Amino acid sequence: MPDLPTSKPALAGKAPLQGVQFAVEALPEGHLLQLMGPTTLDELRALFDTFGLGGSVIRAAGFRQWYVMGEAPLEPAALRGIAGALPRGVFLSDQSHGRVRIRVSGPRAAQVLARGTAVDLHGSQFPAGAAAMTLFGHIPVHLSRTGEAEFELTVLRSFAEALFGELEPFAA
Amino acid sequence: MASLITCPHCGQRPKEEFTIKGDAGLTRPAPDADADVWYDYVYLRDNPKGLHKEYWHHSSGCRRWLIVERDTVTHKVHSVADAALAELGGAA
Amino acid sequence: MSSYRLSTGGQIDRARSIKFSFDGKALTGHPGDTLASALLANGIQLVGRSFKYHRPRGILTAGAAEPNALVTTGTGGRTEANTRATMIELHDELNARSQNRWPSLAFDIGAVNGLLSPFLSAGFYYKTFMWPAGFWEKVYEPLIRKAAGLGKASYEADPDSYEKCWAHCDLLVIGAGPAGLAAALTAGRAGARVLLADEGFAFGGSLLTDGDARLSAMLAEFEALPNVQCLPRTTVIGWYDDNVFGAVERVQKHVAEPDPRQPVERLWRIIAKQAILASGAEERPLVFGGNDIPGVMMAGAMRSYLNRQAVAPGKRVAVFTTNNAGYRTAADLEAAGIEVAAIVDPRSEGEPGWNGKAKVLTNSCIVDALGGKAVSGVSIAGASGVQRLEADAVAMSGGWSPVIHLACHRGAKPVWSDTHAAFLAPERQEGLLLAGSAAGLWSIEACLNDGARKAAEALEAIGFAKVEPAFAEGDTAQRAATPFWFAKGSKGKAFVDYQNDVNLKDLGLAVREGYGDVELAKRYTTNGMATDQGKLSNINAIGILAEARGVSPAEVGTTTFRPFYTPVSFGALTGVSRGKHFQPVRKSPLHDWASKNGATFVETGLWYRAAWFPRAGETTWRDSVDREVLNIRQNAGLCDVSTLGKIEIFGKDAATFLDRVYCNGFAKLAVGKARYGIMLREDGMIYDDGTTSRFSDDHFFMTTTTALAAGVLTHLEFCAQTLWPELQVHFASSTDQWAQMAVAGPKSRAILSEIVEEDISDLAFPFMSARTVSLFGGKLEGRLFRISFSGELAYELGVPAGYGEYVADAIMQAGQKHGICAYGAEALGVMRIEKGHVTHAEINGTVTPGDLGCGRMVSATKPDFIGKAMLAREGMQAPDRPRLVGVKPLDPKARFRTGSHILSDGAAATLENDQGYVTSSCFSPNLGHTIGLALIKNGPERIGEKVMIWNGLRNEFTDGVICSPVFIDPENEKLHA
Repeated sequence: MPDLPTSKPALAGKAPLQGVQFAVEALPEGHLLQLMGPTTLDELRALFDTFGLGGSVIRAAGFRQWYVMGEAPLEPAALRGIAGALPRGVFLSDQSHGRVRIRVSGPRAAQVLARGTAVDLHGSQFPAGAAAMTLFGHIPVHLSRTGEAEFELTVLRSFAEALFGELEPFAA
Repeated sequence: MASLITCPHCGQRPKEEFTIKGDAGLTRPAPDADADVWYDYVYLRDNPKGLHKEYWHHSSGCRRWLIVERDTVTHKVHSVADAALAELGGAA
Repeated sequence: MSSYRLSTGGQIDRARSIKFSFDGKALTGHPGDTLASALLANGIQLVGRSFKYHRPRGILTAGAAEPNALVTTGTGGRTEANTRATMIELHDELNARSQNRWPSLAFDIGAVNGLLSPFLSAGFYYKTFMWPAGFWEKVYEPLIRKAAGLGKASYEADPDSYEKCWAHCDLLVIGAGPAGLAAALTAGRAGARVLLADEGFAFGGSLLTDGDARLSAMLAEFEALPNVQCLPRTTVIGWYDDNVFGAVERVQKHVAEPDPRQPVERLWRIIAKQAILASGAEERPLVFGGNDIPGVMMAGAMRSYLNRQAVAPGKRVAVFTTNNAGYRTAADLEAAGIEVAAIVDPRSEGEPGWNGKAKVLTNSCIVDALGGKAVSGVSIAGASGVQRLEADAVAMSGGWSPVIHLACHRGAKPVWSDTHAAFLAPERQEGLLLAGSAAGLWSIEACLNDGARKAAEALEAIGFAKVEPAFAEGDTAQRAATPFWFAKGSKGKAFVDYQNDVNLKDLGLAVREGYGDVELAKRYTTNGMATDQGKLSNINAIGILAEARGVSPAEVGTTTFRPFYTPVSFGALTGVSRGKHFQPVRKSPLHDWASKNGATFVETGLWYRAAWFPRAGETTWRDSVDREVLNIRQNAGLCDVSTLGKIEIFGKDAATFLDRVYCNGFAKLAVGKARYGIMLREDGMIYDDGTTSRFSDDHFFMTTTTALAAGVLTHLEFCAQTLWPELQVHFASSTDQWAQMAVAGPKSRAILSEIVEEDISDLAFPFMSARTVSLFGGKLEGRLFRISFSGELAYELGVPAGYGEYVADAIMQAGQKHGICAYGAEALGVMRIEKGHVTHAEINGTVTPGDLGCGRMVSATKPDFIGKAMLAREGMQAPDRPRLVGVKPLDPKARFRTGSHILSDGAAATLENDQGYVTSSCFSPNLGHTIGLALIKNGPERIGEKVMIWNGLRNEFTDGVICSPVFIDPENEKLHA
């Protein structure tokens, strides 16, 4: 056995796929924190900046809920530090292993996503930075737009392989 | 094919993202209320023709419970509110 | 062989040829052809046999309403029956076959049905084949089914793919004829997001038929408007709540070999802020004898084939018309050098301005078309009697019916208009405007203007500033139409519904027999019930019923319009949800661990769970399960329990909240402790059970059963948000965050001690402890729980999911010297039955805590909790309720099954004597015989009583005895070791 405990990504072995005007890629499993309670995006931004997590993105994930996501894994001690610094009534649930991020990109990305979600992805309605909790087909996802032709899907770990499998044919 | 509910938090979404529970006009009785009152609350439901307020859960979205006022004849949705916020007067 | 291709003209690409076949015969056509036009160009007019009488039938229309020219296309898994030749875009290698004929299309044995027609009239099902009783099922129906019919489906799997998608737009324009094009152009110029859908492969509608020069400029402008998305080959099939439209795009139905990366059909769900229905109007056939003989065609269709595909219907055409459409066809035929034998017009004044060569016979009707498999002439009845004219084709036009199906899909009723001689739908409904011929306008100028105006109106309604219509108002005056329902004095059969072979006499009979109501007549005669849903026949049937009843068509009314507008393939409706994509699979983070340990998996909802782990030499699942159970009770085992629901509960009111959702107390649960909890429904019955642990004052961790993981979270959210929104409590599902491992058996502590840093002795970590622990010398953190489903000394260890496989491997390695084995859901099930622990087999929606022997758990002191009031009802505590006990066979070698019922000893095997049933059973390898849990009336008071265990389905009887539900370690010594 390896000396150090190793974490096996949910989509281990899934190579990025590049199809015609559409690419799909599993993102590294870093940190993904679910924040709940009466706070604001600005307040959370300032807090995470003080923890040296300025590179983590914070996305709305429903009423008074946010996901803080970044590529670096966080140690339990660091998580306890953040949890302890949260405003009163705001709570943190570590979902770093519970949810998996998949990036889809390319000029056809919005069109492919419209196969599964009823969210209007037109640039005027869902610009870069926008996020939504929705369904892709039968699978619940958190969908965010990270660029004009780039999106991220955050999905429960147990569904990650199934979701990747749904997207694969479009990158064939 | 579809019908749409406009979630106050998420915007317009198809019914597939929601789960319906039923009459939102019921008030949970006090624990020592009469048996008749409890019986009504647990078992009896009106089936109104026309406007009806129902609980809908945005189960594949923000997971908030909503109160959807809907016309049972035309299926037209007249209003959608967050149940908790409506109860608390908008200050949860 | 009277139809043919003209040497010049048309909108086909004569430079390219397309090879196709019909009934095995190799033929050619050109790009721009439909299968129908190509068949006509090849002189093929006989394309099918009718449903009931097997009459020879030809091509009647040039569009979606075609009732006759139904063919089977494709081979193998791509076989598609009953497709309309008029809607199939010709493509290379198209293989089409006629249907409902044997042995051949030209000579069809079934045509004898025509001679039997007196027995096959309206309602024949109910009259002719009634006696003797029993003959219907065995003789008549099989014969009728064999003789009457459509194409045959393939038994092979469809090799192609299908998909669904969503779309959003400001304006959906349905139909790309003059009104639709004008609407889309107006909206496109205004910058709106526009979807323009048309069922044909070429946009233009009647502009194509007319060869209107403006069309190419309009299409060119769309190219330059990125905000207008054009969807040719797309049929809008339904209008649904909240202005959602369904549409089917035939993406690759017109290619020989579909690209596997693309679907062949795509089902669109279009969310439109506004929509314009510009679906045009359907030309009505005229009802006269022999109006179904190949060569009789709708005047508009004939003109369309002539102008678009340069196909001449024959050399000498008779025209029968009640409106100017017949005259336009006659003019175009003459312009193409085809003789028009006569224009027959029942109106006294005819059509003003006719200056063609053909003579016009006013006040006249074609009463019969003559011929067998092709038209040879017509009989015309006029003021001067009946005359016969030679003709090899007949064009007919009985007026126009706006295509209003979609506008009526949400309940709107069509209204009869005398001036239009047609049913009209409301021109303005919320979100949907009718434009052009669909709104009863007949001229191209009027349609262009109307489409443009309606688009401006629709956009202004959703906040666009003043929108400029793309077309100015022109001359929109139009002549009132004259309804004409049928020619009197026909000798031959005059068909109303071609596809279902309903003729004029059938409708008359229906009225005479009391079925004159439009809904009754439809079902009695089957008029309008074929796959074309009466697109051509319904209005004529209504007119005929009206005339027979002596009332206006307004009084007869229409039947209900329902989606879909045209037939939709199952493939399109299924989309990608088939095969391995039928439903998503959920995989545990320990799936690969289980896999490499040889697990056999079982589907549990969407999850794949390890059921057992067979080893070499084991031949049945029982071998494996028995070995696993015995080994755990002797040594230890590791089981993946990650699929159990896990919910983090936060907030200062979390304890109060849990007190209200569980029937037992949680407020005083100490940090670091777990407690078994029972959740009731408001009616007092048990909803779910599980353990909940406390990690801090305001942080609890709840587990649920696998089956109700989603339901319990929804329930908690309901309670928190609607019943007690004032409580500060938050939920986060963490089912997927944790790889959860049950380590059970007397050696489990020794094994885990090698991995866990903390002291986990019974003193330091007694039963029902729960805490965060450090693993591998502090390199990893996990959550350890001392809980047990098996009844053994047992722990559950949770680690972040990605580490699951590493940790499971480490436990197996540490446990090797202790004899650890991997075990699955089956062994888990056996052990919990041996221990008398319940699952949803026992929690069946009708049991209370008392029924399961947990009555003392229910808090008597809490002021309120879900289910408290109703649990107090009289009867919920009655001793004769079915209550949990164990059952075992008197003879250890005897067996019984789950679901068997319990009878008192000596009682007859009847349901009246039913005492309860076996909720769970298994073979206990520890006891060496079958054991069961059962819900039995007065159960706990009957322990030791001899009973009969009765399986009525299999007629099995087993002598048994009622016993304690706890078969193993009733003193809990193992548990607390």
